[in-house]
Amino acid sequence: MIQHITDDLYQIGEHVQTEHGFEAVLTYVILNDGNPILIDCGSHIHRDSVMAQLNELLGEAIPEYLLLTHSELPHAGNIASVAEKWPNIKVIVSNVMLPYIEVLPVLPLKQITQVVPGTKIELKSRTVEFVDALLKDQPGSHWIHDSRTGTLFTGDGFGYMTDSAGSQTVINGSANEVSQTAFEVYHKIAFRFLRWIKPERIAEDLRKMFTKRNVQVIAPIHGNAITVNITGHLDRAIAALAAVNASYKK
Amino acid sequence: MTPQDTLKEAKVFGEGLERVAVRAITPNIFWLTHCLGDLAEEYYKEYFAVLPNAEDYAGDRIVDYPFSSFLIVDEKSLLIDTCGPKQKDAFLDAVQFCLDGRQLDYIWISHVELPHAGNTGSLKRIWPDAQVVTVAGGENYDLHGLENAMTAAPGDVIELGAHSVEMVDALFVDHGLSQWLFERKTGMMFTADWAHNLHEPAKCHCFKFLDEMLDTGYDAATHIEDIKVNAWYQFPWLAWCDADILCEAIDDLFEQYDVQILAPSHGNPIRKDFKTFIPAIRDGMRMAAEMPFSHVL
Repeated sequence: MIQHITDDLYQIGEHVQTEHGFEAVLTYVILNDGNPILIDCGSHIHRDSVMAQLNELLGEAIPEYLLLTHSELPHAGNIASVAEKWPNIKVIVSNVMLPYIEVLPVLPLKQITQVVPGTKIELKSRTVEFVDALLKDQPGSHWIHDSRTGTLFTGDGFGYMTDSAGSQTVINGSANEVSQTAFEVYHKIAFRFLRWIKPERIAEDLRKMFTKRNVQVIAPIHGNAITVNITGHLDRAIAALAAVNASYKK
Repeated sequence: MTPQDTLKEAKVFGEGLERVAVRAITPNIFWLTHCLGDLAEEYYKEYFAVLPNAEDYAGDRIVDYPFSSFLIVDEKSLLIDTCGPKQKDAFLDAVQFCLDGRQLDYIWISHVELPHAGNTGSLKRIWPDAQVVTVAGGENYDLHGLENAMTAAPGDVIELGAHSVEMVDALFVDHGLSQWLFERKTGMMFTADWAHNLHEPAKCHCFKFLDEMLDTGYDAATHIEDIKVNAWYQFPWLAWCDADILCEAIDDLFEQYDVQILAPSHGNPIRKDFKTFIPAIRDGMRMAAEMPFSHVL
């Protein structure tokens, strides 16, 4: 289902059912004045649907870049279809990733570029910055900030479950804001390391990241894009991390 | 060459980016491992560049990093992880060599990343009756190519004959749904992404057990440094931890399990005198947690 988020940014994708609710598996698309950028490319199990949505949204435009938050199959499992349709697409991954073994071997390695956190690239009317993924599972993950829309693409971070498969709706009003509990359920499954942390330390780093750059949209892969009350959602996500940590001490 | 001959020397399948070697840890437990060898310098050139002490990995010491699976062959056989798709052909040949005509009964997955689970589909095409075992907890495993998986939780046991394996609460992980495994007959602990060393192709360390590497100059100080660096890379969440709590957890783990063999995914297994290596593992983990982390925020 294609959803417009803001400006030239869209989310597409599907949901899967888990024992804790429905989990989004999204791809973000920036149209970028005719040179589209994909952020992650969806799961192989949604291949037909994702490619149909991309074709509908992009028309004849050819995506220039696929920016992978990381390479696990829910994020990059559809790369074979993307590579087949757009064989010249350039892929950017974290410098901590080893593309030859951590990305499905469907593109020449020379088309995959590794970047260190802090790297900025100019893509027509925007600057895209790669930063450390503070909430991640695969070490070779990064988050991505888009200057034009103020979007922080957070990979597995800020994910949450929804209560129906039809809940693929951008969070754009107070009626559908994400609760602390929804963040908590997802982050407990995704980030077992939370058992060991001091919550105030990760909270401090998360707040720094959001303070240092213009964040108008939080764009997780496993949850709809959040476009309202960014501070409130950050607060709730931080509270959720503390609650997960506390649950291991009971 | 028979599978048991690999107790003494490796049998290598494929070459370069695809190669996979087999070593027998015991007559019935096999280490199947991929590493880059002479290609390591080229492929790891950037990997260690962000370390605070990157110069230590860019000069004389060119290191390599294995991606491993383990296979227990008993009345039932159980494969621990699957290596990655890039190594598919060599890996399947290696598994068939070790099984020597037997069936594969279980494909046990520590976590879902490609180098750990990426050949599950290919294995199932050869052994369709093999049962995939993953960790319980709420993941949709279809997304990871692990359809119809049986889930298991810490304490669950799979009997293989003389060998039996117990699911272990994975203490230090990257992916949330991860598990470790303890084989009770031999005392082999599989720790997935934790507690691994690095090795040097130039010193012929590829496909060697760590206890064999001691004969070529690998020492305790290097071991601590390797444990530290790998943990720092693998677990950036150490930036927000208290090292004392981690060390207590390590001590508790080795009190609970009488570990005789350490089998990590990304290091050289330790077959002998494992307990003498525990202080280095603990100290390395402590040092990793106390290293500076320069997250770009």
